[in-house]
Amino acid sequence: MNAVAPWFDVRRAEAAERFRALGLPHRRIEDWKYTDLKAALDGANDVEADTIGWEIAKLPTGVELFDLADLSNAPDWVQAHFGKAATGAMSAASLATARSGFAVRVTKNLAVNEALSVAFTGAGHARGLIVLEEGAALTLCETRTADVGFSNIGIEIVLGANAHLTHIRTAEPAPKAIQVEDVSIRAARDASYRAHLMNCGASLSRLTLRVTLKEAGAEAKISGVSVLGDSLHADVTTEIYHAAGHTQSKQLFKHVVGGKARTVYQGKITVAEGADKSDSRQTAKALVLGERAEADLKPELEIFADDVKCAHGAAVGDLDADSLFYLRARGIPEAEARSLLIRAFLEEAVAEIADEAIRASVWHSVEAALPRAMGTGA
Amino acid sequence: MLEIKNLHVVVGGKEILKGLTLSIAAGQVHAIMGPNGSGKSTLSYVLAGRAGYEITQGTITYRGEDLNLLPPEARAAKGVFLAMQYPVEIPGVTTLTFLKTALNAQRRARGESEFDAMSVLKLVRKKAAALKISEDMLKRALNVGFSGGEKKRLEILQLALFEPELAILDETDSGLDIDAMKVVAEGVNALRAPNRAMLVITHYQRLLQFIVPDRIHVLAGGKIVAEGGKELAHELEAKGYEHLAGKAA
Repeated sequence: MNAVAPWFDVRRAEAAERFRALGLPHRRIEDWKYTDLKAALDGANDVEADTIGWEIAKLPTGVELFDLADLSNAPDWVQAHFGKAATGAMSAASLATARSGFAVRVTKNLAVNEALSVAFTGAGHARGLIVLEEGAALTLCETRTADVGFSNIGIEIVLGANAHLTHIRTAEPAPKAIQVEDVSIRAARDASYRAHLMNCGASLSRLTLRVTLKEAGAEAKISGVSVLGDSLHADVTTEIYHAAGHTQSKQLFKHVVGGKARTVYQGKITVAEGADKSDSRQTAKALVLGERAEADLKPELEIFADDVKCAHGAAVGDLDADSLFYLRARGIPEAEARSLLIRAFLEEAVAEIADEAIRASVWHSVEAALPRAMGTGA
Repeated sequence: MLEIKNLHVVVGGKEILKGLTLSIAAGQVHAIMGPNGSGKSTLSYVLAGRAGYEITQGTITYRGEDLNLLPPEARAAKGVFLAMQYPVEIPGVTTLTFLKTALNAQRRARGESEFDAMSVLKLVRKKAAALKISEDMLKRALNVGFSGGEKKRLEILQLALFEPELAILDETDSGLDIDAMKVVAEGVNALRAPNRAMLVITHYQRLLQFIVPDRIHVLAGGKIVAEGGKELAHELEAKGYEHLAGKAA
C-alpha cells in the first residue's frame, strides 16, 4: 500500500490518528482486561511494520482478487469499501501500517462452490477485504499457522443483500507468537454471516469479531472452540450490533483449557433503539481441566429496544460428575470417560459447521490440540 | 452372589445406611422397598461405586470379592450393573457409540476380544426391537430429548446387552405409565436366569406385580426392618411403611 491513492491516504491518516489517540491496548482498558497486549509487547508504544505474508493457493472460479499492496489502480469496489471499518485500536493500527493485504469480491448472484483458502504467515500487519455483492455466496477458510513474533490482521467483510458468507478460521497452536486479529462484518438485508472459530491459542492471542446487522433479515451464526494447554492464551471477543429489527444472532462457544493456559470469551450484544423483533442467543461454556488453568467468560447485553428476545448463558466448570459416574458405571475407565465427555462437549460447537469435509478438518485440529489441553501428551 | 453385612454408609457427613444386612443368591430376584429417604438410592450407588459414599463399617462381598476395593468400571466389567433412577443426558455422544464403547470396555477389561461396529449394531438392533427402541433413538445423543419411558427402556437395553450377573434396578418404575412399565418388566423378566441375581429397588408395590420377586426386604431408617415373600408387598400396600418401620423400632 505504498503507491499514492488520494482516497486511501485520507482513510489511512485517520486510522493513524485514531491509533495514536487510543494507543496499544492494555489490561486497564476494560475490553482488554484479560489480554494485556502492551505488556506482551514489552511496553512498546509503536508497532513494527513488517510484512505478513498471505497466500491464496488457488483462486476459486468466480472470485475476483485484488492485491492491496498497490492501491494506485484499485477498482471501484475496493475504493468503495476498503478502510471504512477500523474502529478498534488494533484495526486502526493495521490500516495505518499494513503494506500487504488482499481483497476479494464475488459479484451479484454468484454462488461460489469451492472454498477460498487464505493462509497468513509471519509477523507484521496485514489487511483483508471481502465483498459479497447482492445474492452472492462464498466459503472462506482462513488459517493462522504457528508463526513467530507479533502479527496484526484487520479484515473487513461487506455482505450485500441476501449474500451468504461462511467463515471458518483455524488457528494452530503458536506458543511463540502474539496474534491479534480484528474482523468487522457488515450485513445488509437478509444477508447471513456464519462463522466457526477454532482456536489453539498463542503466547497471546486476541480475535475480535464485530458484526453489524444493518437491515432486517440479517443474521449472524457464530460458533467456536478453543482448545488450550501449556501456557497458551486465546481471547475471542465478539460484538454483535443489532442495528435493525428482525435481525438474528446466535453464538455457541465451547472452550477446554488445561495446563497453565487461559481462555477468554467476551461477548457483547447491543440491540439498538427500534430494533424490535430482534433475536439474539449466546452461550459460552468452558471446561477447566487443571488447577492452574483459567477461563474468563464475560457476556454483556445492552438493549435499547422493547420487543426483543435475548438469551445468554455462561458456565465454567469441571466435567459433570453425574455423567462421569454414569460412564464409569457402564465399564468405561475414568480416563476414557473423561476424554469421551471432553470430545462430546466440543462436538456440539463443531457440529455447527455444515460442510462435512470442513467439519472433519476442523475436528482433526481439535484432536491434535486435545492431548496438550488434557495434559496427556505433546 | 451378593452378601452385604452390617453396612454403614456416610454421605456428606451424614450416616444414611446404619447396619444393613442382605444376601442374594444367584438366580434370585429380590426387592427392596422403602419410603423416601430410607437409603434405597444410597444402597444402589454404594454398590455401583459412586464417589462420596463412604463405607464406615461392614462389608459388601460380591462373588467372594470385596466390592469396595474396586472402581466403578471394574465392578461393571465383573458383572455389576445399576439401572439408574435418573439416567444422565450426554449431548455429543450418540447412544450407539456409547453402547459400543461401554460394551467393548467391559470386554477388554475381561480379556475378551472387542466387537467391531457392525457386530455391535446387529446385537443392539436385535435386543432393541423387543424393548420397542427405535433405530432413531440409537442415532440420537445419549438420553437427550428422550422421554422418561425411553430413558428407562434404554437402561433395560443395556441390561440386556451387557448381560451382568448382578443387576440392580433403582426405581426403574418411577415416571412410567402402565404400558411403559409392562414393556420394562417384560424386558427384565426375559433376563431372569440361573446365573443372574437381581435387586429391584422400588417405592411402590406396583412394579412387583410385573416383576415378581423371590424375596422382599423393607428398608427404613438405613436398615432392613422387615423381610418376607412376595406377599409382603400387599401387606405394605394395605398398611403402609409406618406400620412396619414402627414394628422394627
